[in-house]
Amino acid sequence: MKDRTVQRILGFFVLIFAVVVYVAVDSVRNINRSMSASDWVNHTHEVILEVNGALSDIRSADAAVLSYVVTGDARAKAECKEVFADLDEQLGVARDDTRREPAQHDEIVQLISLATARADFDRAVIAARKSNDTEAVRALLTGDAGVGATHEIQALVVRITSEEMALLAERDHASYDQAQTSRVTVWAGVALDFVLFAGVAWLIWSDIVARRRAAAALQEANEQLENRVRERTAELAAANETLRSENLERRWANQTLEHQLKYNQLIINSINDLVFVLTKSMNISRINPAVVHLVGLEAHELVNRPLSCVVRLDSGAAGPGSPLVDSLSLALTEGRDLRDQPALVEDKRGQKIPARLTIFPLRDRDKVVGGIVVVQVAPKAN
Amino acid sequence: MTALRHGSARRRLCAAGLSLALALSPLRAVTLDELVTASSMTPRRFANYFEDFQYKEFTEVQDPEVFLRTETGNCQDYAILGDYVLGRRGYDTHLVHVRMVGQIAHDVCFVTPSKAFLDYNLRAYYRNLEPSGPTVREIASKVAEMFKSNWTSASEFTYTYDEGVKHMTFTVVKTDPPSEDPDHRAPR
Repeated sequence: MKDRTVQRILGFFVLIFAVVVYVAVDSVRNINRSMSASDWVNHTHEVILEVNGALSDIRSADAAVLSYVVTGDARAKAECKEVFADLDEQLGVARDDTRREPAQHDEIVQLISLATARADFDRAVIAARKSNDTEAVRALLTGDAGVGATHEIQALVVRITSEEMALLAERDHASYDQAQTSRVTVWAGVALDFVLFAGVAWLIWSDIVARRRAAAALQEANEQLENRVRERTAELAAANETLRSENLERRWANQTLEHQLKYNQLIINSINDLVFVLTKSMNISRINPAVVHLVGLEAHELVNRPLSCVVRLDSGAAGPGSPLVDSLSLALTEGRDLRDQPALVEDKRGQKIPARLTIFPLRDRDKVVGGIVVVQVAPKAN
Repeated sequence: MTALRHGSARRRLCAAGLSLALALSPLRAVTLDELVTASSMTPRRFANYFEDFQYKEFTEVQDPEVFLRTETGNCQDYAILGDYVLGRRGYDTHLVHVRMVGQIAHDVCFVTPSKAFLDYNLRAYYRNLEPSGPTVREIASKVAEMFKSNWTSASEFTYTYDEGVKHMTFTVVKTDPPSEDPDHRAPR
């Protein structure tokens, strides 16, 4: 079975990496959204500041105009000029700031209209004062007292400010939500990564435990195998020892048999009687040296030849009509001895030598397989 | 003896050169006429004149001669003077007023051929021109980045010493889509 632990661990790390990348991308996206929300908050603050700055400028301009009317000081007039320039800038910025917010934009346009009217009034007062037309100045100021133009501007500024504050709260809430989303994303990512790391740790731990268990099982199997090898080696050593003993005994037996055979051979070779070993068909298979000595033929000249070519029963002793070979064959067939029968041995020169013959059947278990013929030659008379 | 005589002559020559250099160096403040008529005036050379100037906040734009004589002023004095001098030397320049959070505002003079703006805060640095894109949004972003702050709106404006009043040409609002910016629709 293929070990898939490494693939699983790699899979976990790929997941962890994917989570990290997702959290990073999502966090950057949230930061951008949060910055955008923050920009809207800053934007709203700027509108509030510009509108309130405009109101402040209008009051400053009114104060400078009154100062100029009373004192005729050129510095007050110059201050008016600066304040009007500042007012123009602030209202222009507020107008441009709200150009994508129609409701606020309309109110700002209305405020610009009121502020322009107020500035025109201030310029008219300055012009009247510059020309020392006191009546005109008085008429302008008296007419302005009941109109309440400044109050109208102030009320509009308060309304715009109030609406911008509501927008501010809404945008700040959006900014907070973005920050909260970023926090949740980051912490969720961290938690998920932690879980994945725990999974990796568990996977590694379980793999180590499994490997240890497998190593222990392998060691146990090795020990069992070694024990079996040891037992089998001992058995083989014992069998080998037994075999060696048996071989030794068999060699000794063989040696004994060999010695016995040599002794027997020596005995047979040393006697003066002629010994013939016959097959069942009365052919010569072996002879002793006394045969060679008496007959004058070598062993190879006699082996496989019929016994009758060398030895015959004496016909006078056997009686008429009983051939020698038949009597011997009959004895062998019947499995009986035929002892001390008169016989004649014919040597190489054809000379017949009288002798006494005895035949013994050779048995293999109960079956006659051949015979032994012993011929005793009568000693020569001196 | 000859070597000694040669060494003494070299020392005398060096001393004379140093004296001449000191005599020719401007020990007094530069004037507006000198800036306007200086040979081969470039934005970088213009900025080099102000590296020792001090910073001081004024509610209104100073007279350029006062600014140059006292060697004290602020971003609007510097930007408006840069616009005045370089404009007369044939450079296409634009004055930009950047508003940032916390009632911070900053004026710079963008020089179109240099693709950079003159900034009073950079007057003492070797790199006294800040590279920037040509749009007001790009300039405002760069200025806010230098202040490590957020900008809210920025306006291109004109100013003449005779009139003494800033005239806003157009205003770019940060929350507006960049494609809606006036200078995006009609690039310089």
